Amino acid sequence: MLKHPMLEYIKEEGPSGMRFPHILCPGCGAGQVLNYTLHAVDDLIKEGGAKKENFVFISGVGCSSRLTSHYLKFDSGWTLHGRSLPFATGALLANPDLKIIIFTGDGDAAAIGGNHFIHAFRRNMDVTILCVNNGLYGMTGGQVAPTTLPFANTPTTPYGNIEDPFDLCKLAEAAGASYISRWITAQPMQIIKAVKKGIANKGASFIEVLSQCPVHEHETPVESMNALKEITVPVKKAEGSGKIPVGELHYRPRPSWTERYESVIEKANEALS
Amino acid sequence: MLETALKEKKYRGEFIKPGRHYLEGSEACVEGALLAGLKVYAGYPITPASEIMEHASRRLPQFGGRFIQMEDEISAASTLVGASWAGAKAMTATSSPGFSLMQEVISFSIMTETPLVIVDVQRPGPGQGYITTSQEDVMQARYGHHGEGPLIALSPCSVQDMFELTIEAFNLSEKWRSPVLLMTEETVAHMREQLVVPELDTIEIVGRKKPQEMGITPENYLPYGHEIVPPMANFGEGYNINHVSLVHCEDGGVGNYSLKAHRENIERLHRKIEGNVNEIARVESHFLEDCEHVLICYGSVARTGLEAVKEVREVHGIKMGFIRLVTLWPFPEEKLRNLISTVKTVFVPEMNLGMMKHPITEALRDKCEQVVAMPEIAALHSPEKLVEQILEGTAC
Repeated sequence: MLKHPMLEYIKEEGPSGMRFPHILCPGCGAGQVLNYTLHAVDDLIKEGGAKKENFVFISGVGCSSRLTSHYLKFDSGWTLHGRSLPFATGALLANPDLKIIIFTGDGDAAAIGGNHFIHAFRRNMDVTILCVNNGLYGMTGGQVAPTTLPFANTPTTPYGNIEDPFDLCKLAEAAGASYISRWITAQPMQIIKAVKKGIANKGASFIEVLSQCPVHEHETPVESMNALKEITVPVKKAEGSGKIPVGELHYRPRPSWTERYESVIEKANEALS
Repeated sequence: MLETALKEKKYRGEFIKPGRHYLEGSEACVEGALLAGLKVYAGYPITPASEIMEHASRRLPQFGGRFIQMEDEISAASTLVGASWAGAKAMTATSSPGFSLMQEVISFSIMTETPLVIVDVQRPGPGQGYITTSQEDVMQARYGHHGEGPLIALSPCSVQDMFELTIEAFNLSEKWRSPVLLMTEETVAHMREQLVVPELDTIEIVGRKKPQEMGITPENYLPYGHEIVPPMANFGEGYNINHVSLVHCEDGGVGNYSLKAHRENIERLHRKIEGNVNEIARVESHFLEDCEHVLICYGSVARTGLEAVKEVREVHGIKMGFIRLVTLWPFPEEKLRNLISTVKTVFVPEMNLGMMKHPITEALRDKCEQVVAMPEIAALHSPEKLVEQILEGTAC
């Protein structure tokens, strides 16, 4: 039987038993994001620029964070809700050579993890963040999120959502992320390229992937993905369209925290001479 | 990487020299941590713990280690876990309100069996409370986090202790793959007194057990298996370690998610710490040979407590014994019971309304007539007051 090429990087089972089938619902976009990310990592390893053992995957809690739970044949940490960035920060302080990829969701990143989100960008921590944004809390039953569109009915907004959503890419830019792009799950090649660029960027790279959640949207996966296509437009044609721009939105490299900390180590040692 | 660079003498940082020093408790703590191998410090400022952080920010980069001031205490503690997974010895220091915020990470690090050290320079609560001294977090240390999670908590009483017990905290955390709490107090952290540093090569430094040293290959590696304290691979070593805090099997997989797997997990975590309490926990004692009463205390209260015990013995002829809990958790119940045959009154002075009095009472339930709490809030007991209370309590 022909096997999926990315299974090379997946633990279908471990010494204590099966890990597959995975926990994600049929039609979920998180699996697509994992597939694209692994393709990007595979390219980087096979092109010879990166060592497999230096990749570390870190996540918080939620549907997309499950990608990091126990499926990956990489070092990984499945951490606290919203706190993947401080955990990644610690790993980088201990070993700045690690290439850290973070899977997060919109609730994980922008609600409970909002404070860590902005500060990691301000510091330009050398991480690549893939935010699978489905506009709701999938794992707990589809409740409203900081990214849910106004007026939406969810289990905790039975009379409609009265709040306006965050634009996560604008938030990341204002906070200082050095690479930012936004895509929808139906753009595999663009996302693979973006992840490679994000990993190559020595600093905080934020990649938002608008994703379908057919279960809570009460649609088929195809209907959900078509809806994503409807509400988005390539960034070059975005002006005046009233739609959400997708594509590369920001790229301004600057030294990362660990690069800048070298000057602290130098000064501390110079003072001793 | 850091280790190699240190060996190449790229960094000029020098450890505190053997001999006598006059230091603040906070500085002694950082100097001890550096000797223990501290490589990452993450913190958030709070009175009265900020001195530890400031000293670490100055000293750590001299050794090529990294210091970061995080956005809050939750992220500071989270940073330690990530650093520990990547192989660094990591610590933070905070004070009581910040310690409350760290409880989430403490629970997480118990379940993921992550070595790290958290110093709590206790101040009075609840709320923002006050900024003097306190022992009001000793129950929070053990029971503040969610879940059945045993851990190790030490209670220093001097600047010498701030140095020695910080080293011991790192050693215990690495040996038992556990978070270790140094439950100090404003009084001890801000105290200045003599510190005697021994010859550095006499100081024992413990590192975590590695699968490589045990001949375990990445294919056969069980991050939560092999032994009661599982060997720990670091990030970047090719062991494909999956750190998980959900109920997990020995291999870190959550596929066979079951009540049985969860119970086995919790049972081992308990056996690891509580089952080794006699190896982990320490108590100190004086004047127990002839004692009719005993005073049991910990932290800076042990200083005034010992003065008071000496005075009632010498001046008033009361046969009073003295016990100091060096380790608060796991609670040294058996050691305590073995030290005492029977006594009339057990006095427990604490800078709270009587917290450790509860496990002490439980441990000595059939060995004494009464247990008397001697509470003090937000300040040290004076020896005079302790003597007065002991005289009252032993009069009947």
